[in-house]
Amino acid sequence: MQAIIKKYSAVLKINWIQALEYRANAVVGVFAILSGLFIEYQIWSLIFESQSLTSVNGFEFRELMIFIFLSIIVGQLKSSWHTSGEMIEGIRTGDINKFLIRPISYFWYHFMMFIGVNSLYYTVYSSLLVALIIIFPGSIFPEIINIFGFILALLISIFLSYSIYYIMICCAFWFGEVRSIVVAYNLTMLVLSGQYIPIRLFPESIIEFLEITPFIYLVDFPVSIATGRMPTDMWLINFIFSIGWCIIMWMIGILVYNRGIKNYEAYGS
Amino acid sequence: MYIKISNLTKSFKMFKRTAGLRGALKSFFNRQYTNFFALKQINLELEKGEIVGILGENGAGKTTLIKLMVGLLHPTEGDVVINGYNPWKRNHEYLRGVTIVMGQKNQLWWDIPASESFLLNKHIYQIDDSIYEETLNELVDLLDVRDKLDVQVRRLSLGERMKMEIIAALLHRPSLVLLDEPTLGLDVIAQSKIRDFVKYYNKKYNATFIITSHYTKDIQEMCERVLVLHNGEQMYDGKFSELIRAINPDRRLVFEFSTVPEKSYFNNLKNKFKFELKDNILTAQLHESELKNLLSTLLDEFSPQSMSFEDLPVEETMKSFFQNPQDYL
Repeated sequence: MQAIIKKYSAVLKINWIQALEYRANAVVGVFAILSGLFIEYQIWSLIFESQSLTSVNGFEFRELMIFIFLSIIVGQLKSSWHTSGEMIEGIRTGDINKFLIRPISYFWYHFMMFIGVNSLYYTVYSSLLVALIIIFPGSIFPEIINIFGFILALLISIFLSYSIYYIMICCAFWFGEVRSIVVAYNLTMLVLSGQYIPIRLFPESIIEFLEITPFIYLVDFPVSIATGRMPTDMWLINFIFSIGWCIIMWMIGILVYNRGIKNYEAYGS
Repeated sequence: MYIKISNLTKSFKMFKRTAGLRGALKSFFNRQYTNFFALKQINLELEKGEIVGILGENGAGKTTLIKLMVGLLHPTEGDVVINGYNPWKRNHEYLRGVTIVMGQKNQLWWDIPASESFLLNKHIYQIDDSIYEETLNELVDLLDVRDKLDVQVRRLSLGERMKMEIIAALLHRPSLVLLDEPTLGLDVIAQSKIRDFVKYYNKKYNATFIITSHYTKDIQEMCERVLVLHNGEQMYDGKFSELIRAINPDRRLVFEFSTVPEKSYFNNLKNKFKFELKDNILTAQLHESELKNLLSTLLDEFSPQSMSFEDLPVEETMKSFFQNPQDYL
């Protein structure tokens, strides 16, 4: 067990080192999220001012902004676009060979890679989170338990998001190129997970539909816990469902991989 | 038996389309698939510690065979058993004892020094600290790259990168080493260093090597045994020297006279043997038995200033072989 932990922490470490090699990329990435936050602020200010609104679906302006800011941060933390792009390219060009010839799990190797690549952002986003807590006291993490609930829900979101990407990536064993599927999913997921518009602003029928999908656990669930919008008596059932989705997606991923790898033609040299 | 390959066949599903936009559109709506057989009914048995070369022109199936042996591909038919394992099941125990170096692909991390990739492999293969240090030092010194360990991989020359790839591949002391075009694009000094290294490693660790190369010199210097593939079919499995003899049984004699004989002597000799004469040097390219007769005739009357028996250039022999392999075997 210790050897396995060492093995995968080494993968994590090398990806972290790799991420540090590209300082400019990291800085630009952080500015990208800040500009996203700024645009959201401008749009919602205009909506509230032009319509003379005091609240939307139970959200006052300040509460809505905090919810959206948190949603964008959580959305970025679970983002797998870099890792999924590399994995798809690897299957298409044969670069995946270097993982297949080594005694390591393809799924876990890339999960650690995903965490490693995102590690720089984790540090920066945590600082942003702390800043939000200081600027808006009481609006985020009203109780200590909300912090722990948020961290757990965030970890589930990261794993679930990666598992969904993994299923799409493994389809490349059949189709060669699946980036258009991933892009289509990214766009759909931005809306359905509540990354840019809170799900709570959607019509009731859509909310009911989303509650039986895994998307709600990607952004809305952790943010609802952090902002105290989800009553604590609802946490357990939601944690059970979200973990259930993780297991389902993980197992589908393994199944698709095991089938797909038989089709793999090890392109390239 | 360390490696046993029986009736191994590998086919790929490929789609056909004609060139141009029309062909692309037609293929988009109605894709025509065909089966391409990369390997057909291959049989091979190897003992531990052998060095075997796989020869064949482009598309003969060499790399496909290597990929099947390392477990990157599933066989369509037949079986591969290596050290008791089916490679495509990718059992971690099996993978810990095998490695592959592909000349055109790399396993090193491009943007960071090779030493970081080595450390990663140490953990992936669960290598003990002392064995890791010992092996790394040994390989680094043998391949003469100690001063390059902390340089980003993308800044290394092709030869240095290949040496680093070999080090990364051998850190866990694998018992089966698959080398696919290991000297591709390297200068003659780097090629020679890698050939010497293979022989050294094979001797020291009794590791089995399977090598593909377009450079016949690689095969000639490293491999006693060769497997020849042509269009996915097994044409020959045996000693390389015997293959060369079978393809071209001729050898060359270069005989330098100390004093140039009379013209009449050569006129008589020309009735019996085919040769060329330039100044005082006679060169003949004949079957070995004929060559012996010529030599004994010459030695009966002359003592040479110098003389030598030479094999014909292997590159040329193999070139003529691959043009029509069925004519030779």
